[in-house]
Amino acid sequence: MHIPDGFLSTPVWAGLDLAAVPVVGYLVRRTQAEFDDARVPLLGVMGAFIFAAQMINFPVGVGTSGHLVGGALLALTLGPCAASVVMTAILVVQALVFQDGGITALGANVINMAVAGVWLGYWPARLAGKDPRRRRLAVFLGGWLSLFSAALLATLELSLSRVAPNRPLFASMLGVHAITGLVEGAITLAALETIARLSPGFVFRREET
Amino acid sequence: MKRLLRALAFATLLLVVLAALASSTLPDGLKRVAAMLGFGSRSSSVGPASPFANYETRYFHSRWAAQITAGLVGVALMWGFGALFARTLKRKR
Repeated sequence: MHIPDGFLSTPVWAGLDLAAVPVVGYLVRRTQAEFDDARVPLLGVMGAFIFAAQMINFPVGVGTSGHLVGGALLALTLGPCAASVVMTAILVVQALVFQDGGITALGANVINMAVAGVWLGYWPARLAGKDPRRRRLAVFLGGWLSLFSAALLATLELSLSRVAPNRPLFASMLGVHAITGLVEGAITLAALETIARLSPGFVFRREET
Repeated sequence: MKRLLRALAFATLLLVVLAALASSTLPDGLKRVAAMLGFGSRSSSVGPASPFANYETRYFHSRWAAQITAGLVGVALMWGFGALFARTLKRKR
């Protein structure tokens, strides 16, 4: 899922780098203005948890592996603004220290996973209401959507960079990530239910937008 | 809250060990598609080589030790980021 250097054409990666800076700046300011003080200790702990979870690749069939991205999980525990900032920090550490994801492609990876992945992973649960069954389904859907939307954007960026013919590119990227998204949804749901049991009231806070 | 923080910290350390012991070595979706459609070779690296590239610390012969130490470095960096960001949040108020 992390796009490396060399895959995207210069106009695509440079445009997304330029777009990511003000977007992340705005999200940092919103986090500073409205982040719930009680959750401050969770910032680093959740960031480290998602970082470690992303290190585990699991087989998804056809000779491919996937890993949790964690956008929906972060959004539903920290709120979407702080989740985007924490996910951006994870992507920066991964690119600079572990060479996972490109430095020039950092803006693309931030837009895909820290912005679209986080916010699209957040909204289904936010809109689901208080019925526990609907909410569980929405969390699962949010996990799936978080990963799938990031993959869809990555595919669009690769398509704009003309790395391969569109039809096989979209079919193979979206097919693989539709399956990986199911695991993302299941892990998101299981992790959130565990967190909710350990600390009731820390997930699904409706006053956060 | 303290219970949740302790549980998350413990789970994080467990995940680092699990990643070294049981993570799949198969390529991820993007790498697989890139290899299949012939653009995998375009992958390049910008900037100096990191001693922790590919989540393995360069100075260890044992792969497990290399992966666990690299994972712990990442976890420490994220905890550090959290502490710094928390300080900026408090200073703003």
